[in-house]
Amino acid sequence: MAVVVEPSSSDLQIHRLPQPKYIDALRWLPHLSALDTHIALALHDSHSAASSIEIHALKTPPNPPSLDLQSSWTCPSRVSSLRVSQTPQKPLIAASTFDGSLHFLATHPVNLSIQSDTSIEEKGFHVGPIWGVDLLGSGGECVTVGEDGRVNLVTVGESRLSYRRVFDSEGLVSYTAAKWASPAEFATGGLGFSLQWWDHRKPGGAVSQFKGGWGRGGSSGIVHSIDIHPSRKHTCVAGGSSGTVFAWDLRWPEQPVVLSGIGTGERENTSPSESEVWEVQYDCFVHSSNISNVSSSRILPVMMCSEDGILAVVEEGEEPAELLAEPCAINSFDINVQNPSTVICSLEWESVAIITRQ
Amino acid sequence: MPGLVSDSGDSLVPFSTEPLPPPLYRLRHAPRPPHSRIAISWARGNCLRVSFFTNPSPPGDQSGGKVVEVSVGSGELHDVQRRRIAYGSVSPFALLQSQKNSMAALAGMGVGSSTNVAEWWEHVMAFSDDISSLLGNPKRATRSIIEDEKVVLKGCQEWVCLKVRLAYSLVQGYGDSEKHPKNLTWVSSRERQIFYGVGLISSVRRGVSIPLGVSFESFNNVEVPTCLKAAWELIEIFYAEKQSQAWLPERLVDWLASYDCLLSTTEGTVHSKLVDLQKELATLQVIENDQKYWQGISSALAVGWLDIVVKLLRLHGSYQLDQLGNRETENGLVEAIAVLVSKMPRMRPKLADGTLGECFNTKPEFMKAWERWRGQITKLECSAFWVQCEHNQTREGLRKLLQIMLGNTNSIIDASFNWMELYVSHFLYIKPFTMGLEGMDSLAQKCMQLKPSSHSHELMRLMLGIIGENTEVVLAECSRSFGPWMVAHAIELLTIGSSGAETLLHEEQYNLGGISIEELYRLVYAQVLSSHALTWQASEIAPVYLMSCATQGTRLLEILLYKQPVQQNQILLKTLEICRLYELDSISSDIMKIAGMRQWKHGRKGSGVFWLQKAQDEVRLNRISQQLFDYVGRSISDNGFKQWEGLIELLGQEAKTVSGLDFLHKYRDFKKSLQQITDGKASDAARQAVESLILLMKNPSTPQKFWLPLLHDSVSSL
Repeated sequence: MAVVVEPSSSDLQIHRLPQPKYIDALRWLPHLSALDTHIALALHDSHSAASSIEIHALKTPPNPPSLDLQSSWTCPSRVSSLRVSQTPQKPLIAASTFDGSLHFLATHPVNLSIQSDTSIEEKGFHVGPIWGVDLLGSGGECVTVGEDGRVNLVTVGESRLSYRRVFDSEGLVSYTAAKWASPAEFATGGLGFSLQWWDHRKPGGAVSQFKGGWGRGGSSGIVHSIDIHPSRKHTCVAGGSSGTVFAWDLRWPEQPVVLSGIGTGERENTSPSESEVWEVQYDCFVHSSNISNVSSSRILPVMMCSEDGILAVVEEGEEPAELLAEPCAINSFDINVQNPSTVICSLEWESVAIITRQ
Repeated sequence: MPGLVSDSGDSLVPFSTEPLPPPLYRLRHAPRPPHSRIAISWARGNCLRVSFFTNPSPPGDQSGGKVVEVSVGSGELHDVQRRRIAYGSVSPFALLQSQKNSMAALAGMGVGSSTNVAEWWEHVMAFSDDISSLLGNPKRATRSIIEDEKVVLKGCQEWVCLKVRLAYSLVQGYGDSEKHPKNLTWVSSRERQIFYGVGLISSVRRGVSIPLGVSFESFNNVEVPTCLKAAWELIEIFYAEKQSQAWLPERLVDWLASYDCLLSTTEGTVHSKLVDLQKELATLQVIENDQKYWQGISSALAVGWLDIVVKLLRLHGSYQLDQLGNRETENGLVEAIAVLVSKMPRMRPKLADGTLGECFNTKPEFMKAWERWRGQITKLECSAFWVQCEHNQTREGLRKLLQIMLGNTNSIIDASFNWMELYVSHFLYIKPFTMGLEGMDSLAQKCMQLKPSSHSHELMRLMLGIIGENTEVVLAECSRSFGPWMVAHAIELLTIGSSGAETLLHEEQYNLGGISIEELYRLVYAQVLSSHALTWQASEIAPVYLMSCATQGTRLLEILLYKQPVQQNQILLKTLEICRLYELDSISSDIMKIAGMRQWKHGRKGSGVFWLQKAQDEVRLNRISQQLFDYVGRSISDNGFKQWEGLIELLGQEAKTVSGLDFLHKYRDFKKSLQQITDGKASDAARQAVESLILLMKNPSTPQKFWLPLLHDSVSSL
């Protein structure tokens, strides 16, 4: 097992809030005032086999943290991916499902109650599960990718949704993650640690491909999540099987920078995890102040969560810093953009964990 | 139950033949009758699926019937709580198993065993504490002062507040006397009476209620104690708490104080009587005239809830300021009893906050103090003051309390409501010097004869099994009343310190198919876990228990792993992770093959190839490559090539090791070069195209049907 830097307990406050349902995904909602924080949970009730999206108000210190249900919306199928637009004036929640449908929930900016919902549920949209969905910052456009190998672009109008097919691999390739880089470009991830770079102005396929040039055959894996930093649009960071977190710089497309992972062969990396990395996000908490000083080729710190119960921050050339080590899987997490010191994550054992860093 | 053999007395586990009332489950969304047929079958977990078939309906009528699921929930715990317990007990269990294994390894090397035994006790105790805290913490409420719903008028409230303040200042002046009644001597109680009379007591009566152990926690929205917790604690007391053997009776007193409310049968309990009394306190004008008041005090005293006894005694009317003058003797007697009760010697290391008595650690000291205390009681009983006490009920009530403290069997029987309570009273007042399990069983039998009950409570049955030192009965009771979770975990406590139980539980039993009883119960629990998606689904709970089963665990785990769904990527990956953790490589590769074929058949070719490649399944890859070539032959046109790009990348360079798929790679290169030629680019491309073509033609894996298209492509580029 790799060496990890243990955080001193005084630096972290961890609260676990058991929920009565399984948490498929969770996100912070952007908030207008510093006093109220809200989160969106995609839940699955194993007993009734019903799925829902719930908005909870999060009570934070000095009160003991607790979640208060504000509003709830019943989802026709289990949620596979959840995104929230970062627009406090008009928060929009996008949820994709295992049945290939996509749902948008418009929320009230102040009390964050669910005001309206629109959906695409038609057969031709996606066949089978949608694995990745991402909203463009303002929430006007949304990209969806799925197991069926389709890449769709959804335009969110006032009352209706429209979509167009960017690409259809007809099942020859499956995509598992998607992330916008700019209003015209986005990246996707897939099987065999592959990454694709798309420009929806250029039809006919991906403009660039990362071939996942390591871990062939038996040790190959799947990309589960990707992230792109707004100030580093040329770099895409991805997390996937075997504890792998790597960065792909479009300027040097043949040479990925491996931040974590076993079985990389070339050099010994310290890896906080050995199993599936379910989610990666740039951690804006650590270097929020001096980001401009860091060389543009250096990969910024990345937070990851894994099937073996690790929530950690990995950084190029540094020992990984572990935030949480749970006896069960950590299936997703989200860093509060407006207050990066707080992180929420969903645990396999039907709990939400709230971590506050000092 | 018809056909059930009656209990002839020699059965291993005593069971009653009286029929239990059948449980009723209400269907919430059932369609209206008439139904032509109803079918019932098991669904997932504890769900029953009930299908209603309607009569053959006229054509056009769409309603053909309806299927509803009903959860056959069992017992006091909700499924969510049950899952939480299951989640929470994994880590303590796994930790204990690894400690057990490492100690076994040490013992195997011949490293000192005496220290090991002590260490093992500590580990088991830590395990028990973890489990116990998981089941909730319904300890005695030390300060459950709640607002009475019948508070007197507002004006009075102010008066009360004033008095309380006054009283508190007096308390301060008295060196915190309220907290330590033993600091006050018998002589100075006159002053105490005045201070109590000033208002603290009346305020207690009017605005604040008395704490009644755990009872009011439920009113305060604190966790209600569960039988599961009570049972666990009972097992812990008798098996795991090595130190407590010396003060076992006092541990039982504490246990009853926490869980008496659960023992309610038709006969009622001390707890339920006190709850009734509490409700009436606010309305009663002169409480000492009421028989219930005195009965409540007697009962509380009988089971050793001394703090409640003292609190109730001080509600006595003679403490009131306006009464003090003419009820001096009466009040003196009440206070005398209160002080005696609060000074009762107890054989235990320490008392919880708010409970009364004087602790003694060693038996000689305790015996000395006990004799002295008894002497004081006898002296008071013979006192001449009783004659002067004019209030009949007070005199009788107080004398009854004295009788209980003197160990009068009849008074104790009167004051208790079931045999458990009587049993505890015996330890408190009749057999105070009992240590360990000696004589406990026969005493229990005696108490059961004195307080016969029509219905035997599960906790009482468990108790009988424990004090009867019959491990099999304990296991059977645990299994029957508290379910597989309880047995699988309680076994860890049962085996400690008893070589007999250890042999019994760890011995491989021929009639169990060569596994031990311990393993059997773990397998049963693991199966229960596996029946629910959440406690199985890679929460890695069931595998932890299965892997602790030496003989059949791995095999059962393998079977269960094969049965996991492969449709959803996430669940598939979680299943594979379990295989990785337990090094079940062949299972893992089989599951990948299953997943790969499924994806392939559902048209997700890339995904199918990916999984088959991961499983290194050459045979299937070869077979599907033929289908792929057919598909390629049809669909690769110059502009449709982008679609193939990803799949070919996925196949990678290594594809040559697996079947003829490397052909695709070369074909792609060839096509690419051709495209560049047609785009009018460099002669390099042409050379590359020629190289690719030669490679393709040389390659034995190039399918024959591609020879013609290749030729066609080459000719056209010339």
